[in-house]
Amino acid sequence: MKHIAPIEAAGETPMKVPTRRALAKQQTRAKVLAAARALFSEAGYEGATIRDIATAAGMSTGAVFANFTDKSDLFREIMIADMASLGEAMRAAAAGSNRGVDEILLKMFMAGYAFYKTQMPLARAAFSVGWSPEDGPALRNAPVAQQLYELMAEQLQLGVQRGELGQEAEVKLRAHMLFDIYLSNYPLAIFEGWSLEALQARARDQIRVLLAGARRG
Amino acid sequence: MTTMAAPFELKRQSPVVPSGVRKMRESQKAATRNRVIAAAQALFDTQGYQGTTVRDIAQRAGVSVGSVFTTFTSKGEILSQVMLDRLSALYAELERVAPHLRGSTRDRLCSMFAMHFAFAAPMTRLFLAHIAAAYDWTLPPDAQPFGRNPRLQGLIHDCLAKGAAEGDVDPAVDFHEVVDLLMAAYAWTYRHAASDTADVATMTAVMDRQIALIASGFRPR
Repeated sequence: MKHIAPIEAAGETPMKVPTRRALAKQQTRAKVLAAARALFSEAGYEGATIRDIATAAGMSTGAVFANFTDKSDLFREIMIADMASLGEAMRAAAAGSNRGVDEILLKMFMAGYAFYKTQMPLARAAFSVGWSPEDGPALRNAPVAQQLYELMAEQLQLGVQRGELGQEAEVKLRAHMLFDIYLSNYPLAIFEGWSLEALQARARDQIRVLLAGARRG
Repeated sequence: MTTMAAPFELKRQSPVVPSGVRKMRESQKAATRNRVIAAAQALFDTQGYQGTTVRDIAQRAGVSVGSVFTTFTSKGEILSQVMLDRLSALYAELERVAPHLRGSTRDRLCSMFAMHFAFAAPMTRLFLAHIAAAYDWTLPPDAQPFGRNPRLQGLIHDCLAKGAAEGDVDPAVDFHEVVDLLMAAYAWTYRHAASDTADVATMTAVMDRQIALIASGFRPR
C-alpha cells in the first residue's frame, strides 16, 4: 500500500493530473460531439436524444451530461465550430478574388453553400434550432454567427471605398439583407435539392438587384 | 351464419357505402378535425408549441389520441394546419384591401407587410415555432416550408406590375427577383422577434427600411 502514496502525491501537483484529466475530458467531449453530429444529421434535432447520442458514443448518459448541460448545449457547440470554419472559408473566398463587390459577395455565398452541401441535414437542423423561440437566440447571437454578417459588411464597405458603391449605400442594413438572402436560399437546397450551379445563378441575380440602388452612376 | 355474413362482407368491401353513412363519417371526421385545430390553437398560444403534447391536444378536444392521429400525422402537421387556417384569413383580407391601397409602389408594399406583422404579432412565438417546425423532421414531406407562399408572392407581383403600369417601377426589372428579395426580407425580419423579442412597430420599421432599399433598385432610371 505504501507505494500508492507517492503516486497520489504526484497526482496532487498542480500541473500533471489536471492535464491528463483535461486531455481525457477533451477526448470524451470530442467523441460525444462526433456521435451527436452523426445523429443530428440522421434524425434531425428533435429526433436525436441524449440517450441515442450516449449509446452511439459508447458511454453512459451520465458521462454525456458531465460534459454538456443538455442537448441544445451539445448542438450549439457543433454549430459554433462549423460557423467558425465557415467564416474562414468565406474569408478565403473573398481574399482570393479581386473582382468587383458583386463577384466577391457571390464567392462568399458559394463558399457557404459548398460548405453545407455535403451536410444538408445538419443545415436543416441548424435552421430548426435557430428559429426556435427557446434555443434560437443563443445560436443567432453567437459571435461566430455575427462574424459572418460582419464579413459581408466589410466587403460592402470596401466597395464604397473603391467607389463601386455610393457613400450613402447604407452598409449596415444592406449587409443584413445580404446575410438574410444568403440564408433564405438554404431552403431551396434543403427541400428542393438545388444544385450549387442553380444556387449560384439565383444568388448572382439577388446580389445584383440588392446592390442596384447603391451603385454609382 | 356464413351465408348471412358473406353478403355483408361484400357490401362492406364495395366502394358504394350508403351515402348517408359516408356523409356522417365525413362530417364526423371534419368535426374531429375542427375540434383538434381549435384545441391545438388554444394550447399552442398559452403553453407554446414545445410545451404542448398531442395528448394534451386530444384531451382538450375531447377525443382520443388515436383519432387525432387518424387525421394528422404529427404535432408538426397540426401546427401547420393551425397556421394555414389563420393565414388564409389574412390573405383573404389582403386580397380585398390590395386594390384600394394608395400611394407609390413602395408605400403600398409597406402597407401590405405592415398588415402581416400586425396580424402575426399576437402569436409571434407560434409563428416562430411554425418556422422552426418547417425545418424539422416532424412535418410531412409535402408540407409547405415557410416563406414560399404562392398567394403572397402573387399579391406582391401584382403590386409591382401596377407600379410598372403607373411608372414608378422600372418595367425592365425582373419582378420575380424583386418578389424573392421582398419575401426573404419579410421572412427574416422575424429574426428580430426571435432574438430581440421585437414588437410589431420595430419589425414594421425594419421592413419599411428594407423595402425602401429594394425600391431604390427598381425605380425607373
